[in-house]
Amino acid sequence: MVLRGFCYVVFGWVLIAIVGGLAEVFGLTVMLPATSAVIVTHVAFSETRSVPYGLAIAIALGYLEDLHQGAPVGTLTLAYALTFLTLHWASGRVAVRSFVTRAAAAAVAIVLVDAFTFTILLSLAEPLAVGRAAVIAAIGGVHWHIIATVLVAPPVWGGFDRAFVALRLEDGPPKKVHWSGGR
Amino acid sequence: MAVSLASVRSGALIVLLLGIPLMLLRNTAQDPHRMSGFDRAVRRIGGPLEAAVSYSAGMLGAVFERWVLQARVQDANEDLSSENRELKRQLRDLVTLREENHQLRRALQMRDRVAEDMIPAERVGVDQSPVFRVINIRIDRGNRYAAPGMAVLAPDGVVGRVDKAFDDYSDVLLITDPRSKIAVEVARSRAQGILIGEDEDLCIVDVSKDYEVDEGDLVQTSGVDELFPKGHPVGKVLRVEQLVGDQQRLYVLPAVRFDRVDVVWVVLAPAPRPDPAAGTEPGDVKARGLQPIN
Repeated sequence: MVLRGFCYVVFGWVLIAIVGGLAEVFGLTVMLPATSAVIVTHVAFSETRSVPYGLAIAIALGYLEDLHQGAPVGTLTLAYALTFLTLHWASGRVAVRSFVTRAAAAAVAIVLVDAFTFTILLSLAEPLAVGRAAVIAAIGGVHWHIIATVLVAPPVWGGFDRAFVALRLEDGPPKKVHWSGGR
Repeated sequence: MAVSLASVRSGALIVLLLGIPLMLLRNTAQDPHRMSGFDRAVRRIGGPLEAAVSYSAGMLGAVFERWVLQARVQDANEDLSSENRELKRQLRDLVTLREENHQLRRALQMRDRVAEDMIPAERVGVDQSPVFRVINIRIDRGNRYAAPGMAVLAPDGVVGRVDKAFDDYSDVLLITDPRSKIAVEVARSRAQGILIGEDEDLCIVDVSKDYEVDEGDLVQTSGVDELFPKGHPVGKVLRVEQLVGDQQRLYVLPAVRFDRVDVVWVVLAPAPRPDPAAGTEPGDVKARGLQPIN
């Protein structure tokens, strides 16, 4: 389980770097996917039910996002932690089996991340030396963030499934995923 | 409700873990611009990773861009080739127009030089020998204007005479035709003779040995036949052959290239005779208006 968690963090870090590199090369500033949100969703809806384990991964990924995005350190860390707890709570009630539901779950995850992030930034704008007007203006581009994350969610999710199977780190029986959600 | 030890331990861990971001936020709030040693270490580890990804993505982007650029260059090349073909076609048209303009200007200049009454005519056909030498040309003036025997001139020199005149066109007997006879003279020595067609591009004229004639001398019309205006170029002496007796034979190369003639002039009537009173002062004519009364 520790190795699986380590893989989550390392692969997540690589994906953050890839997104940053591609954004720099192609000059993208708005429509960037949050691969870490997809990973946190994957962790929350996996068979592993240990909350501290998933929370630690979410905090690590949030911290890396903080450093790479240049956000006040701790903002995305806390946002990802709260998002994981919410998704973990939902995972006991909702099944995510198909590509569509995975994309929908990733969309919910990124909405939660953005909501928590903007709430933290607006609440602590003065101590964190962040302009409220800039934060409010950034809310206008959130839909691009959500669309990009939804688009990358199925391949990222599937990639993690395949990687864990290849590394023999899967935590349940082999799954066969259909568009309709059948298993 | 019983609470297991595992649940308590898990809850404690969750609280402890949630304390990490709160602690990070607290530190950031205290000094927003300060990075801890751990932050710097993580950035230092992640920097090369991001740089490597950026480099790889940049290389991929460059290949993609080059591919797109190559496609654009190919499109531009096709456009330029098409434009080049069109411009070459226009250039050919312009060269043709320039040559036509040049010939028309020369024809107009000749019209100013020659005093005879003339009418322009355009060449509409040629008869060529098997070796592509012109033996007859056809002009677009019929018997309403031209009549057999009328002289036909070009800016470069004498072409020949109208042989047959039809309704819409006329055939011209070239000076190289053996049936052609024209009164000519050597411009330098005034040696006169009758030019007769000899070959497809050669004429002969016999003149007296009393006159000195050299190769390259200009032969022109003498005007004594009252068909051709005097002094119009006919050709150049190519060779001089001394005949038995007091004659010498001149072989003359026509001044006109019959295969390049497009516009010619048909001489309709001789020039009017000069006015003998021209150039003299008019007589003193007294005014008939206000005069003193005698």
